[in-house]
Amino acid sequence: MSTIVIEHLARVEGHGGITVELQGDTVGDVRFDVFEGARLLEPLLKGKRYDEVAPIVSRICSICSAAHTLTSLKATEDAFGIRVSPQTDLLRELLLRGESIESHALHIFLLAVPDYLNYPSAIALAADKPAAVLLGLRLKKLGNLMQETIGGRAVHPVNPVVGGFGKTPSLDQLIELRSGLMQASADSDAVIDLMAALPAADFCRSETYYAALRSPNVDSYYSGDEVMVVSAGNRAIVPAADYRSLTNEKAVAHSHAKHSTFRGNPFMVGSLARLTVNPRRLTGKLAVAMKRLKLTLPADNPMDNNKAQALELINDVERSLEIIEQLLREGVKDERAMPAKPRAGTGTAIVEAPRGLLIHCYTYDEEGRIVSADVITPTALNAASMEQHFRRAVEQCPERDEAVIARRLGMIARAYDPCISCSVHLVRKR
Amino acid sequence: MSKPTVGIFGLTGCAGDQLVILNCEDQLLDLVSLIDIRDFLMASSENNQDCQLDLALVEGAVLSNRDAETLRAIRKRSKLLVALGTCAVWGGVAAMNRGADRDADRDALLEEVYGDIGRGYDSTPAQALHEVVPVDFNITGCPIEKEHFLAAVASLLNGDLPLYPEYPVCTECRMRENNCLLIERGLLCCGPITVGGCDARCPDLRVPCVGCRGPAGDANAGSLVAVMEEMGFSRPQLAARLRTFAPGGVA
Repeated sequence: MSTIVIEHLARVEGHGGITVELQGDTVGDVRFDVFEGARLLEPLLKGKRYDEVAPIVSRICSICSAAHTLTSLKATEDAFGIRVSPQTDLLRELLLRGESIESHALHIFLLAVPDYLNYPSAIALAADKPAAVLLGLRLKKLGNLMQETIGGRAVHPVNPVVGGFGKTPSLDQLIELRSGLMQASADSDAVIDLMAALPAADFCRSETYYAALRSPNVDSYYSGDEVMVVSAGNRAIVPAADYRSLTNEKAVAHSHAKHSTFRGNPFMVGSLARLTVNPRRLTGKLAVAMKRLKLTLPADNPMDNNKAQALELINDVERSLEIIEQLLREGVKDERAMPAKPRAGTGTAIVEAPRGLLIHCYTYDEEGRIVSADVITPTALNAASMEQHFRRAVEQCPERDEAVIARRLGMIARAYDPCISCSVHLVRKR
Repeated sequence: MSKPTVGIFGLTGCAGDQLVILNCEDQLLDLVSLIDIRDFLMASSENNQDCQLDLALVEGAVLSNRDAETLRAIRKRSKLLVALGTCAVWGGVAAMNRGADRDADRDALLEEVYGDIGRGYDSTPAQALHEVVPVDFNITGCPIEKEHFLAAVASLLNGDLPLYPEYPVCTECRMRENNCLLIERGLLCCGPITVGGCDARCPDLRVPCVGCRGPAGDANAGSLVAVMEEMGFSRPQLAARLRTFAPGGVA
């Protein structure tokens, strides 16, 4: 028996590795190992008052901190029966789009593209292809500016609170964002040029299930409370309150990750899943871009997640422009947050984080203190699917060349864009 | 002069301080021309894990024996070791209940989150870096301020150490002419005892300070607790709030 081990995955957020055991020609155990220290944040939340919760859970992950914050607020508002204003909904969506733009630009340009072009880092890539890196940095900076403007800070937003925002951004700030977004919109061809020129990555095809928040309107990030699971030809709907039927996390024999399956099938969440579940915006400019990237949905290649992120990046910019136009048209009111009247009960919220479905569920006592908290992150949801694709990559490399396999496994892991700090619910290797 | 060698590391945390470094979009390419980043796993797959470093920037808290070993190895190879962010400086959110009764049985907590197999994980109560190895200086914040990181690098390149505020958030909040959330609105704001440097970001947005930067050197905690008790906040409530990011001890 031989073993292929990637001790410590590079260019991902957090600490994880991959282990593949080979018995002759047979692929044995395939593990996505997580050795992030256990912070045990869920038990630490017990007894915390409702207004303390979001600033703590935000710290689960920096790259997804806006998504964690907003999912947390949405779950608390669900528990207390608070309905936020339409303006708050729009601004929250804008904040999430900003986070998505930052995260996708970071991932595509700084973490993933170096893979395709055989560079160890974006810093090395910048020496040869400065334009590509500068484009990525420009988009990333825009995403951060959006988060600073709406969220008050690029990492761990402080402005969103239960019931709304501390302070509403001013018209001038929104107009500044609009000009940045218009510049980014003009850059979208350059993004697709870069992605379309990358060498094909085709080494782990298999039929894949996808799960994403189902959109009640255009394409959902923040609003919505149902998840749709799609596979070739099949669709199923899971309401937020039944999220456990989707995540039925179970510890598996090789004891490294609680695996989420839907009716026994691993599923993928994230950009590719969102486009598969909500393809309605893939028209016009996006349809042309999709054709240039040779992306068809549903895809059977998880590496296509990088293409989907590029399409989402463009869509995020366009949708953000629409939101700002609407806010400017309707006028921005200096609203105060809706008052919170705590009551005993449970609230559940699902939001699309940059890496996919994020679920928070809290039970409060009558004074508004946490009795129990459950946080399900996209990286935890993706673990089973990621391992399935690791396995396919080894199977589809009959010569079993260790260096080739190791490189491909790293690329698959990065295509899933794992956020291992988010793995509050990943069971780690002993 | 040869470029100083630098390593950027994350122990257990949210990676937010490394992200702040990557968020220096306008300075990043200049920065890498001035310093020689040899080891930065979050950004590069080609790292020298053994070379001597002039400067190690370490974020996150120590939450496992593995973290502690990693940190000791970094200390051994580094001239200067900088604790980056509140987790590294103070222990951060994972340390909030440290020393409290509930944390006594860590195995029970592990089991609560991970089930049976949680028992026996390599998991230790959260520690700040200085509790494990000597730390040369601290850049606090959750996350750190971009400007503080850049100022630190600039100072070090010039053979100097950076200076950061010792005064509390209130000082900056007054300078921004905000209404006081604590006195005028009766909200539990940690500004009076939290170290400044954030330009009172939260109170300026009418959001009370949660203390994410850790305690100010010249804060008068006793007096704040007295004021807050007078306003009707209970001691346990205050203690929990003030311990959320920095559970005590002196960094």
